[in-house]
Amino acid sequence: MFFGNLTLTQFLLLLGAGSAVIVALYLLDRSRRRQLVSTLRFWISAQRAPETRRRRRIQQWPSLLLQMLSLTLLVSALGQLSCGSRGPAPRDHVLILDTSAWTGARTANGTLLEQAQALARACLRALPPRDRVMLVRADALATPATAFTSDRQALERAIAESRPGATALRLEQALAMAMRVQRLRGAAAGEIIFLGAGRMPQPQATGGPPAPPNLRWLAVDAGLENCGLRRIGLARSPEEPAVWNVYVAVRNYGQRAQRRRLVLDFGGAPVGSEEFSLPPAQELSATFSLRTRAAGWLQVQLSGEDALAADDRALLELPSLRLIHVIAYSSQPELLRPLLGTNPWVRAEYRKPEEYDPAAPADVVILDRYKPPVPPRAHAIWIEPPPEASPVAVRSGLSRGSLLRWRADHPVAAGIRTQDLRLEGAVVLAPAAGDVAIAETDAGPVIVARPGSSKTVVFGFHPARSSLRYELAAPLLIANILRWMAPAAFRRWEVHAASPGTLSVELAQDDAGEVRVVTEDGRNVPFTADERGLKFFWAEPGLIRVLTPGSELVYSLTLPEVAEVRWQPPDHVRRGLPSRAISETRAFELWPWLALAGGLCLLAEWQLYGRSRTAALRRKAGRRWLPNWRARPARTPAARGRP
Amino acid sequence: MSEQPLVDQKFLEKLERLAIRWQKSFPGLVGGHNLSRFPGPGLEFLDHRHFHYGDDLRAVNWRAYLRFEKLFLKIFRIEPHTPVRLLLDASGSMGLGAHSKFDYACKLAAALCYVGLVRLDTIILLPFRERLERSLRCAGGRHRFAPVVQFLTQLQPQGRTDYLEVARQFVSSYPDRGLAIIISDFMDDSGCERPLQYLADFGHELLLVQVWAEEDRRPPWEGRLELIDAETGARLELDFDSQARNAYTAAFDAHRQALRRLALSNGGRYISVSTGLEIEEAIFGPLVQAGGIE
Repeated sequence: MFFGNLTLTQFLLLLGAGSAVIVALYLLDRSRRRQLVSTLRFWISAQRAPETRRRRRIQQWPSLLLQMLSLTLLVSALGQLSCGSRGPAPRDHVLILDTSAWTGARTANGTLLEQAQALARACLRALPPRDRVMLVRADALATPATAFTSDRQALERAIAESRPGATALRLEQALAMAMRVQRLRGAAAGEIIFLGAGRMPQPQATGGPPAPPNLRWLAVDAGLENCGLRRIGLARSPEEPAVWNVYVAVRNYGQRAQRRRLVLDFGGAPVGSEEFSLPPAQELSATFSLRTRAAGWLQVQLSGEDALAADDRALLELPSLRLIHVIAYSSQPELLRPLLGTNPWVRAEYRKPEEYDPAAPADVVILDRYKPPVPPRAHAIWIEPPPEASPVAVRSGLSRGSLLRWRADHPVAAGIRTQDLRLEGAVVLAPAAGDVAIAETDAGPVIVARPGSSKTVVFGFHPARSSLRYELAAPLLIANILRWMAPAAFRRWEVHAASPGTLSVELAQDDAGEVRVVTEDGRNVPFTADERGLKFFWAEPGLIRVLTPGSELVYSLTLPEVAEVRWQPPDHVRRGLPSRAISETRAFELWPWLALAGGLCLLAEWQLYGRSRTAALRRKAGRRWLPNWRARPARTPAARGRP
Repeated sequence: MSEQPLVDQKFLEKLERLAIRWQKSFPGLVGGHNLSRFPGPGLEFLDHRHFHYGDDLRAVNWRAYLRFEKLFLKIFRIEPHTPVRLLLDASGSMGLGAHSKFDYACKLAAALCYVGLVRLDTIILLPFRERLERSLRCAGGRHRFAPVVQFLTQLQPQGRTDYLEVARQFVSSYPDRGLAIIISDFMDDSGCERPLQYLADFGHELLLVQVWAEEDRRPPWEGRLELIDAETGARLELDFDSQARNAYTAAFDAHRQALRRLALSNGGRYISVSTGLEIEEAIFGPLVQAGGIE
């Protein structure tokens, strides 16, 4: 005979405290009885001095004994008194269920996760019923699905609700967490039971995690063959904006060579394919070119069937090509064509000055020696404006001079170098407050930039009529001006298909500045940055955008992260289901009967002794003429002077 | 008051044979059924006296005139119509007891009223607490019994008793002597003996009916008690055991004996009934034996 919940000391303490309370209540209840009488006249002769000692006398022994017996039975029931052999103490087990992406691989007997779930259920049945179990779902993160509980139905529900994730298994984290929760629990630690494929990424598998001494390994992998997309990258060609360079990486995870075909579709039309033969445990890279200005969906697909279908197909969204629209109002457009025609990101339109429209839809307007009646609404480049119509005041004329300085820290003059550049017939500008002098001569600034909602650049000389036309700085200066005025059109745009988990992004040097990593719905994703780039972790499939001043990188995390290596635990690790014979105990539960007997004793006590008290109270409460004796002072007949 | 009928029909039929009796001789008009020592129109011969001018010639004893040649007048005993007043204690103490003393007293009062109505007596029903309450005059035969039942049913036991004030009011309100039936538990802290003696001294014949519950005579409780007077609310704490119970019962019995002595010494009668006794047994037992009714 033993207690399931309480030690003997706890039982005795609980029983003693309860008994003390019952005896105290009993004595208090029976210490003084209030009674309504017709007169106090005859009680005077029976009156004696009150004896305090009487309060401690027990007048109804059977009532007290019944109450004490009820308390003893109920406390015994609370302690879950059992009869039989005690068996081993209940232990705390941790069940690590592998829910990595690889467990979605299908075999003849269902997916690997379904096999692991069947093993988990069998494991639960083999464990002693009083043992507590915590279920932990493990992929890149170890997530507890239940607390330590002996409720087998709740555990089986949690096992059934487990689904394959999108990331690879990080077994070391899961084992560390299991050991930590067993240590914090403080009770008798049971086993750490792993159920799943046990495949890990190459870096983690090298050397392997330290196996805890109480680890039990139940693997379900059966040497499946799989070949899947590992990484896809798209970027616009720097030479030709309408061309996408597509990079696809494919890996063979199986043990045999695979012959597969890689097919690319854009908007439902095939745009490229390549057949290849891939040796086992090898990776293949293929590049394609896709020429399109339109937006659409690019589908990359591996033909053929293998164990894991989720990594055989990827879908990427491509944006349309957007060029800078420049309208040049000039009577000599042939002077400007060499400056604008060298930039593939510019769509130039040349108009005569009499066709001027201030509301023309353009990103940038060029006014070549022209005085418009109304200033343009878009960004504007003024070349040798008439002095009376110049947005920047003209200080003086410069018949002959040389260009001495460029404002190198401003984006307009970034990277521009000239030497002994002679200027003739230029005007010197007088910049206002807030204006920036881009290029200066001895006499003063000849190129001024004005920031604002409508940015303006004023040339004091014509770049195509001066000696600057023979310099490399001329098209570079125009390109810098356009990039400063419309930076979005020059932003680098890349699309990548990758797997959820930890992602490393390499940033260009001109991307330094404010960096944001956001999800599709605008939530910020935490990241770490260093001189080489940034890293962030995202465990769910979705779209992540990395925004820098000069680029926008879109990561479509739709490819499952498939681990390459199956970890082999050391020899001392136990394998197979736990033994059922050792775990079973034979005990007869007495506590339901004890609780029933305790309740019956309480009922009997109430029937025999309590009901009369209740009836007396009800009778008293039902009398309307009952005097409010509590509010009156206690006065005896003797005190009133009566006999 | 219980919701059952105060007295049932079968019991009333049994009461038809009874009549209220009193021992004292009261003056009054003819119409009663109890002989009086006072002369008057009656059937039972009392005495002779000399004839005086103005006497009724029909009462002259002509045989004695023929013999003695003097006029003698025959005097008869009168059966006067005597007023009967029934005083019913409606104080709070009457509501106590496992069987309510007040219910019991109301049944007794109803039975006595019915007996009086059958014999064409006039009974004035007088509930009292600290003073006399609104009364009911019942007369005119048995068919006038329903108002009595209704009157008694509306009464509730409450308040405290003051026998001295009740006696003073009674004497001043009813100066003509008669039978005073008092149904009460006679449990008053200030004592009821002296007011009852006043009533007797004023010439009323007392018929004391003491109604008591079993716990009034022998309380069943034990241990430490906090007693509360049902009428005054006064409290008393004491330790109660079998020895104290005996002392209490002795005091209660002494009180009963004192009431009995008071009634008998003044020519009245005393009946003590427990609520455990059936009404029918109380009427045909102690009440008939004591001569209250016959």
